[in-house]
Amino acid sequence: MLDLKGIYKWVNTGNNRIFLLKDVDLSVKEGEFISIMGPSGSGKSTLLNVIGMLDEFDQGEYNFLHESVHKMKEKQRSALYKQYIGFVFQAYHLIDELTVYENIETPLIYQNIKTPERKAMVGDILDRFNIVGKKDLFPTQLSGGQQQLVGIARALIARPKLILADEPTGNLNSKQGDEIMGWFKELNNEGVTIIQVTHSEKNASYGSRIINLLDGMVVA
Amino acid sequence: MIRNYFKIAWRNLTKYRFYSFVNILGLFAGITFALLIGAYIWSEWQVNRQLKNTSQQCILTTVSTDPNVGYELATFGPIAKRLKEDYPDLVTNYYRYDGITSVVSKGDKHLRENLQVGDSTVLAMYGFETLHGNAGTALRDPFSVVITEDIAIKYFGKTNIIGETISIQNFSGGNHAFTVSAVLRNLSRNTVTNLARDYPNSFFIPMSAMTYFGRLGQDSWDNMFIASFVELKKGISIKDIEKPIQQLVQQNVNPALQKIITVKPVLLTDYYLRQNQGLVKRMLYILSFAGFFILLMAIVNFINIAISRSGSRMKEIGIRKVLGSMRRQLIFQFLTESFILVAAATFLAFLTYPWFRPFFNKMVGADIPVLSGFPFYFIAFPITLIVVVGIAAGLYPAFVLSAMKSVDSLKGKLKTAKEKIVFRKSLVGFQFSIALIVLISAVVVSNQVSYFFSQSLGYNKEFVVSSQVPRDWSPAGVQRMATIRNEFARMPEVSNVSLSYEIPDGNNGGQRGIYKAGNDSTQAIAAQLLTSDGYYPSTYEIAMKAGAFLETNGIIDSSKIVLNEKAIKALGWNDNREAIGQQVKIYGDNTFYTIQGVTSDFHFNTMQQQVAPIIFLSLNRTNIYRFLSFKIKPGNISASIEAIQKKWAVLLPGNSFEYVFMDDTLKKLYASELQLKKAAYSATFLALIIALLGVLGLVSLSIHQRIKEIGIRKVLGASLPDIIGLFLKEFTTVVIIAGLIACPVGWYLMKSWLDGYAYRVSVGLQPFIISIALVAVTTMILVALQVIKAAKNNVVQNLKTE
Repeated sequence: MLDLKGIYKWVNTGNNRIFLLKDVDLSVKEGEFISIMGPSGSGKSTLLNVIGMLDEFDQGEYNFLHESVHKMKEKQRSALYKQYIGFVFQAYHLIDELTVYENIETPLIYQNIKTPERKAMVGDILDRFNIVGKKDLFPTQLSGGQQQLVGIARALIARPKLILADEPTGNLNSKQGDEIMGWFKELNNEGVTIIQVTHSEKNASYGSRIINLLDGMVVA
Repeated sequence: MIRNYFKIAWRNLTKYRFYSFVNILGLFAGITFALLIGAYIWSEWQVNRQLKNTSQQCILTTVSTDPNVGYELATFGPIAKRLKEDYPDLVTNYYRYDGITSVVSKGDKHLRENLQVGDSTVLAMYGFETLHGNAGTALRDPFSVVITEDIAIKYFGKTNIIGETISIQNFSGGNHAFTVSAVLRNLSRNTVTNLARDYPNSFFIPMSAMTYFGRLGQDSWDNMFIASFVELKKGISIKDIEKPIQQLVQQNVNPALQKIITVKPVLLTDYYLRQNQGLVKRMLYILSFAGFFILLMAIVNFINIAISRSGSRMKEIGIRKVLGSMRRQLIFQFLTESFILVAAATFLAFLTYPWFRPFFNKMVGADIPVLSGFPFYFIAFPITLIVVVGIAAGLYPAFVLSAMKSVDSLKGKLKTAKEKIVFRKSLVGFQFSIALIVLISAVVVSNQVSYFFSQSLGYNKEFVVSSQVPRDWSPAGVQRMATIRNEFARMPEVSNVSLSYEIPDGNNGGQRGIYKAGNDSTQAIAAQLLTSDGYYPSTYEIAMKAGAFLETNGIIDSSKIVLNEKAIKALGWNDNREAIGQQVKIYGDNTFYTIQGVTSDFHFNTMQQQVAPIIFLSLNRTNIYRFLSFKIKPGNISASIEAIQKKWAVLLPGNSFEYVFMDDTLKKLYASELQLKKAAYSATFLALIIALLGVLGLVSLSIHQRIKEIGIRKVLGASLPDIIGLFLKEFTTVVIIAGLIACPVGWYLMKSWLDGYAYRVSVGLQPFIISIALVAVTTMILVALQVIKAAKNNVVQNLKTE
């Protein structure tokens, strides 16, 4: 599905060049459930952002579904991830001004999907995650677990091929965390590729493969 | 999608009520001002445009190389009529009138009114609408009169008064009944019925009544004082009638006069904007600039606050980008918000328009239309305003905010916003600069205006009232008025009375060339002619520098003349006493005048001009007079006025005592300066408000961002003044830089404005010090108040906020 070859990312501070990612090679096949692990500052989130095309890299090649991301302009990249990738964040990142329903609906609006179709799709997903009753509430009126559930629903609404999750359970208690991971497992079983960043061994065990990072490098 | 934008925009606005309020208030102030100014410009533009065939209507004006000859607003009596008769292919219609002022009576109402004795074409040619009566035949009979709605109400209390009569006095004191033959709907502002400022005409009397008023000669080429208008045929331009006019003048006017005078046709639509040395145009320019800058400040405010708030919007922007929003869509979203704000502000501005209208009318001395007075297509105006201002205000923030990188925004990095701090400060600096410039101007203008009123005028204006008297311009009439004057002077409430043709209001009977008897006329100097009796200097307390003033009683030698010091100097005498008894001549007059006395200089005109040389001639020479001026003894002024009024009714029955205090006469003289002062005050007020709103937005954001810092500093032992000082520092530099920009600009602007005045204050340091101090102090108070509010919060609360 995607292929990273010799990815470098750095920042220059004065005369020093600090590497955030150093010669990262990674290939992910469709249907995999990958966990990226490593200590703080090892480059996990950076790598995830690079994969999600939210961040740029300085050197290397990135092919996504046989397209060369490193050769693309920003506009093409955003069109690409808009279509295939869904994001889930540690801090949920719901838009506070929008209701649950509207938050979930937003990606569809950006993909120019017509209203009736949108209604049906949002309705389905609300149903699936058992949050129909909460659809008119604002994010601040929900618990953390519920907010993350909305976050996942939103990530899934456009039927992406890949879900990128940056410590999806980091702000949740263990019971809520288990529930969220359960959902991921189920989605993975349905064929959605998932890459998550996590600190927890327990969460990593839901996945099929673990990538360990240290100081920006992959350590087997 | 659009609905979604609206929803988000609305929720954002209601969530951050304070910012929305500040934003709308600033925009509201700017838009209201722009709206009022727009209405004013429109109404000035509309003058003369309601007349029928307005683009074909012109006035014939006189351009003269000699100030003694000709009158700008009038021309040779027959010329307009001859144009129509001789050139029917060019001119389709004409209207001429002789403007007179006389007393109109109905019952016990006796009022002085401005009348037009003119051609019967007036109603049809300009399409004046009649409420009652037949426009076609209304001006056929010599003793018929056409009046406007307002006048009908004023005299009769109703408008359906066809066949009723009013009585109009002629100049020999006789009265005759005039039958009302038509009542016109009130006239829109136009040059035909309102040729001279402040003298609107609402009475129209047929030309055949000229004999009754003793004003013959509308068909004589010797009469150069007939206001004349012609209507050009469709497709004929003003250029096309210049030749015919020239020919008519050549055939009928003596060659000497031809050299001095040119008759110039001017389109009425151009005429109004250009009259009074372009006063209207100048006022329009000043106001347009003021309006533009105030609106610009409001827009800057919006931009500033929008960028200030980018911090709190950043997360949302980031998420939207991650969810696949294109930049274009984000830009649209932000533009929607600015549209909503601008629309709200515009709506408010329209809502409050009726309330602000009277204030503005007072300020510019005009009457701007009510909202329903605008034609329907004006609905396009607010819409354009919303679109233009909405885009102007929203575009920059929209681009800046949408350009942030999604990862940065998600992490809530304020880096982008901090980089903009210099930019935002310069925006506030810009606002401060404008506010300071306006403030400096306001101080200087008001200094200059108070200088006008405090400066010694050379005469004493206190307790002087004047009133027009009925005219009987004959030796007998002068004699009669002299007797009446003596009657008034005997009243215990009055210390002196003078009969004269002029009062010191800048309007004199004309310039005369005056020269020493030994010299020839080419050495003449121009002097203003004042015609009065012998009591003028004692009434106005004008000092005599040498000799005596004109004789007061007995047999009056009308070849005696009195000059002011300026005239004596201009004629070449170094000593006033030297001039006494010397003879001078007046251009075009064979009399040898003997200089009887020299008065000190005084301001007959506005202080915009140098004191001019002045000649006093006895009114026994020309037998003309218009005013009685009363010097009232200090004490109960209203009782004195009442006493004069009673006496007036006895001495001058059938004439009303319409008195004006000299103070008010001067106010009229300085009307445009007083207007400018008011306009400057209002502009200052608005500019200051908007600038302070800008500061308010910036401070509150800065506090919001540093709330944790405030907490930490307090824990470490900082006192409240320490914390206030921290924030004040930010704005001190902005005020200083704004001052550095504003002072030279303000100085230059005011210097060039003052240069137009012969008598003026020096700019000095005071306006700058006052302005900067005022702005600095108000800013400090504003900052301090907000910081105190924030710093008084519980420290733990502050520290928790993340």
